[in-house]
Amino acid sequence: MTSSNKPSSMRIDKKNSKGCVIKRGNPIQITINDTQVTAYDGELVASVLLAEGIRTFHSKHKTGRPSGIYCGMGVCYECLVTINGIEKVRACQTQVENGMVIKTTGEKNP
Amino acid sequence: MIEKTDLIIIGAGPGGMQAAVSAAQIGLQVVLIDGNPLPGGQYYKQLPLQFSVNQNSCLLKEAASLFDGIQQPSIRLLTNKLVWGIFYNPKTKLWQATLQGDNCPPRLEAPAIIIATGAYDRSIPFPGWDLPGVITAGAAQVLVKYQGILPGKRAILSGTGPLQLAAAANLVDAGVEVLGVLECNQGLIQKGFLHLTGILGQWSRMKEGFQYAKSLLRARVPYKTGWSVIRVDGEGKVEEVTIAQLDKEGNPIPGTERSNSLDTVVVGYGLTPSTEFFRLLDCEMIYSKPEGVFLPKRDPFFQTSLPGIYAIGDCAKIGGAKLAMLEGEVAAAHVAYQSNRTTKDKFDQMTAKIHQAIKRENRFSKMLAELFAIPHGLFSLAKPETIICRCEQISLAEIRTAISYGAQTVTDIKNITRSGMGFCQGRTCASILSQILASQRNCPPAEGYYLNIRPPIHAVPIEYFTESSNGVQG
Repeated sequence: MTSSNKPSSMRIDKKNSKGCVIKRGNPIQITINDTQVTAYDGELVASVLLAEGIRTFHSKHKTGRPSGIYCGMGVCYECLVTINGIEKVRACQTQVENGMVIKTTGEKNP
Repeated sequence: MIEKTDLIIIGAGPGGMQAAVSAAQIGLQVVLIDGNPLPGGQYYKQLPLQFSVNQNSCLLKEAASLFDGIQQPSIRLLTNKLVWGIFYNPKTKLWQATLQGDNCPPRLEAPAIIIATGAYDRSIPFPGWDLPGVITAGAAQVLVKYQGILPGKRAILSGTGPLQLAAAANLVDAGVEVLGVLECNQGLIQKGFLHLTGILGQWSRMKEGFQYAKSLLRARVPYKTGWSVIRVDGEGKVEEVTIAQLDKEGNPIPGTERSNSLDTVVVGYGLTPSTEFFRLLDCEMIYSKPEGVFLPKRDPFFQTSLPGIYAIGDCAKIGGAKLAMLEGEVAAAHVAYQSNRTTKDKFDQMTAKIHQAIKRENRFSKMLAELFAIPHGLFSLAKPETIICRCEQISLAEIRTAISYGAQTVTDIKNITRSGMGFCQGRTCASILSQILASQRNCPPAEGYYLNIRPPIHAVPIEYFTESSNGVQG
């Protein structure tokens, strides 16, 4: 297992034009495809995957086509991943928890 | 024992929260249920509890009284819970909602249910629309505003309506390089003049629009009307977009195509109401052209054809948060009146006043619907090999074959191809299927559009249906 603590450039940490900036929850450790990753309390599984540069969350059963976040609100079921051994969980509707084990299919970790 | 209450409200967005507050004021016991961790819906969406922010957005300040209002003993708020069905219990003569989630009753019964399930982004299929990196405007907002995550580094927006501008402004603000905002409609200003009466009294909203326009101008983001994304290409993800100018009917004009490399395409072609419960209950439905779907028929108090089942807000007709709240007030008052908690005089007085405000809001939403309709040609962007049903991976060619076999309704297409039978249960493709059917059979989309739905209306783990875990005894 390798540990990656790189600050992700996909996380927005500067103030916007109205001076507003989001402060994340506490750092936690999760596992994505056998790699240990730092995430933050309150983040969605989909957010952490994007922050880690993973855009394909699963590949389609029939065609193998890549599938990732699309609607972002739990409607389209395009963002299904395996979480703690339970298959087909919506990444956009699930918050990360310390020790969570996430598996995606169809794309290697960059 | 199945738990009982006076009123069940499904969806804690602006409409659902307002209905709960109004009902509680009149003395009803309310259970307010939402699938998200926090109330607010999409419009008043709150940051995760674990996040903090140095200043609250105007929207959340506006919603503060609602958030306070639902914190009271007569409102029981159940968050993180899925309602997967509504049934009529002939024994108790009550409506029964079935729930899934931690620490919640598996069933709840009440004489009335207000459905306030809102809406989600409407999809238009084009080659490559299913590639990772194509996301809806709603998803872009969730990621940037509520998660502080960039969906990509270089993006284009394509679609229609003011929500696109809001999403674009937020992306620019977050540091995404936005190549442009493509609005598929043209002649907006000329069309807008026809609707001046709708704009009266809506200055605060106009101001909101100007704010977005200002931050786009500052970043020199081009806003092109009469243009659209027509295809996206890439190896396993978005790499290149092709855009084109559209003619009046929305067909791409040959020779105007331009390509650009990028990693994110944000699409937003208006909204689709979440009508699952109305179809599940077999409420009387009417086709609504602006949304391209069937919507529940409602009386002046927002009751559907089924006594005790109410439909408020965007799930019943796209009209925005303010309209949803007004409808919630009226529906709550009607539930109270039906259960003799308020007198006829009081009820009439209360609703007459709100109905005036509702008329104003309706004028505004009618204007938006007419200004930002989807030009017909956009429904022909998909190629034979383009996937239409993403869940079951059914292509346009397969759907056309099914229609040539004699499919006359969207349900027929589903039975032949499995399109609309997957995880999302047709939420994404059903209205698209009706457009394909209409163009191939040369009939109005309403004619072939009916998609039945069965419980559970959201995917629920199979373990849940074992007797020991769902609390059913005898």
